Amino acid sequence: MTAADVHRPAPEAAPPSPARAVPGWLRLAWLYLVSRRAPAAVAVLAGLGATAWASLHWHWDVAGGAAAQQAIPLAIETGAAMVIAVTCYGPFGEPERATGRWLPYLRLAGAVLLTAVAFGVLAAGSTAGGLPGGIPALLRNVAGMTGIGLLAAAALGGALGWTAPLVYLVLAEGALADGATTPWAWPARPPHDLGGALCAGAVLAAGLLVTTVRGARESFRQD
Amino acid sequence: MTATSVPVRPVPRTGRAVPLGLARLLRVELRRNAMPFVLPLIALVFWFDSYRIAATLPPLWAERLYYIFGQGHSLIDFAPFVAGVAAWIGSRDGRRGLADLLATGARPRFAVQFATWAATAIWAVGGYLVFMGATLWALGRSISYGAPPYWPLAVGAVGVAAFSAAGFAAGAFFPTRFTAPVAAFGAVLACGTSSQIGFSEPSGWALILPTNSNGNFGQDAGIFYQFLPDLPIARVMFLGGIAVALVALLGVPVTAGSPRLRHVATVVSAAGAALTVTAIVLATTAQLTANGVAIPALHDAASDRPIPYTPVCGNAGTQVCVQPAYRPWLADVTAALRPVQAQIAGLPGSPARAAQIAAVFAAPSPGLGAPAGGVGQIAQISGQPAVLYLPLGALNLSGAFGQDRTDFLEAIKLQTVHAFVVAGSSYGDLAQVAVEAALMKNAGIPLATQTAVVWPASPWGLPFTVPGGNGPPGQYRYPAQFARAATRFAALPAATRHAWLASHLTALRAGHLTLAQLP
Repeated sequence: MTAADVHRPAPEAAPPSPARAVPGWLRLAWLYLVSRRAPAAVAVLAGLGATAWASLHWHWDVAGGAAAQQAIPLAIETGAAMVIAVTCYGPFGEPERATGRWLPYLRLAGAVLLTAVAFGVLAAGSTAGGLPGGIPALLRNVAGMTGIGLLAAAALGGALGWTAPLVYLVLAEGALADGATTPWAWPARPPHDLGGALCAGAVLAAGLLVTTVRGARESFRQD
Repeated sequence: MTATSVPVRPVPRTGRAVPLGLARLLRVELRRNAMPFVLPLIALVFWFDSYRIAATLPPLWAERLYYIFGQGHSLIDFAPFVAGVAAWIGSRDGRRGLADLLATGARPRFAVQFATWAATAIWAVGGYLVFMGATLWALGRSISYGAPPYWPLAVGAVGVAAFSAAGFAAGAFFPTRFTAPVAAFGAVLACGTSSQIGFSEPSGWALILPTNSNGNFGQDAGIFYQFLPDLPIARVMFLGGIAVALVALLGVPVTAGSPRLRHVATVVSAAGAALTVTAIVLATTAQLTANGVAIPALHDAASDRPIPYTPVCGNAGTQVCVQPAYRPWLADVTAALRPVQAQIAGLPGSPARAAQIAAVFAAPSPGLGAPAGGVGQIAQISGQPAVLYLPLGALNLSGAFGQDRTDFLEAIKLQTVHAFVVAGSSYGDLAQVAVEAALMKNAGIPLATQTAVVWPASPWGLPFTVPGGNGPPGQYRYPAQFARAATRFAALPAATRHAWLASHLTALRAGHLTLAQLP
């Protein structure tokens, strides 16, 4: 065999089938999502959606006021944000950053996609009825808490990014119990409140921006 | 020198080398552990959720620790973070694909995992104890009497260890990046469910839950009588058993170590599970006593001894004595009793003095002001000469759960007037309630405040038994005819009213008078 023969396919090699001719950008996106364990994340988010449905269907209420009534829905929304936060880091580190020209766009697309999936499965779970605040509050809370998770992943590392939504859950529950009115405690605001929606949206935008530009911190106690 | 003349190196004794190696491993894991980096977040949550609220409660240990220990918020604040981080640490080897490699190491895989878990638990439990130490110190600065209960502190510490074991085991058996958030979320759900059950179940197996304060924390524990350690001991057994079972479970898989080690781990895990089940069974045998929940198999009779004290007294037209822990409220009590005492002094059954009695958990011996008629513990007048027995601990003290000083004074006035006129747990009939309303009005509580604030907050709730009364809670009003009678009686000259009461009090208490017969 000469060097000229290299350009020819081996005689025994089958011609590429049309079904496997996946566009390059799609394959890249899929590989990126797999490297972030996005398929598993979708499965976990689906589990949270099922939990939301079960909690509403069987009335897993916590006795008490507004804080208690929202405890389980907020916890589930927090869980979704925590799952998204830990999908932010990859296994390749420096080589990926050095060679991945499309990495910022992939980070942005991945975060947006998983946020949309989270909202979708939780909205599906809320069809059991009785979700406090309804779909608008769900959208606002998931968006804001996901933003917090993305910011935490950039600051603390993807591995510990889940801690910040959990902290916010406690603070929000306290705000609900205290009757706080600050829009930064958006779960304590009415579902159609503009201030709460703006704050949640701003946090999500900041999280997406940081994730796009910088990605998750990777050097912080990956042990 | 030849090779044969080189002195033989002493062979290290195996028995010493193993502990030294484990200690070294533990030291390495302590230095490399991720838990310390989460402790500041836990501190923020603990301050916001537990300390911030506890510090606003009245300066009594039973009151201030009700939220932290009684409802288990100190554990609730720690559990999700500890479970999540422990899961992250526990999944480390699996996520990195090192499990098989480490299984062939010099030390059994279980020994390595145990050292890693131990380091995680040491950081978590150490953090819990440090935070709680600082909290008890800060809360105790304004508490002048008694000491905090330490068994609930042990429950929290063992609970933190149990959640760390649960998270670590989850991470070790399911080593993915999602195990940490899922473990944290599971801990949130577990704590929320436990709290929910704790609010509704005052007996049975549910008492074993560390967030269940129902009928077992508060009242006058640590003031008139000891904090009973029975239930906390059972909870330590419950949570300790869970921790032991889950940690030992790590030694059961084939890769954990030698067959002998796996056999021992299986036995220890089963023993931990048995300890947990035993604790649950013990909780089902619990009995609610005056001093709290007693578990016969764990009960020490010495815990039932009352705490001796010398009362502190004031003057409200009659002597008023309280337990020294309640000294900060003595002035409020005398201020509340003075206007009531001024109206009833010298009448039949009028108290010659007032004394505080213990607020208790369940029906106590006669004379202690037993809860009756489903209204809880109330003030009573009894004895010869008559003594007004006030269970101050059963009232909401000023500063507790949104109550202010005015609420506290009004509650004492209502309890005293009710003990004097009705002498029982029922609302009383129309004439009795009208006289009560008049006496309270003259003691400074307008009729509208009585129906909107004082009655709803009392053990009796709203007096809906008064015919014609209407309005939603908070806006309820006495019926017009009733209000006119009460106002008319209150407006009588003091001497006239006193004389009428002196001659009609026996008939009024017996329920022989109607509203129309009031002057």
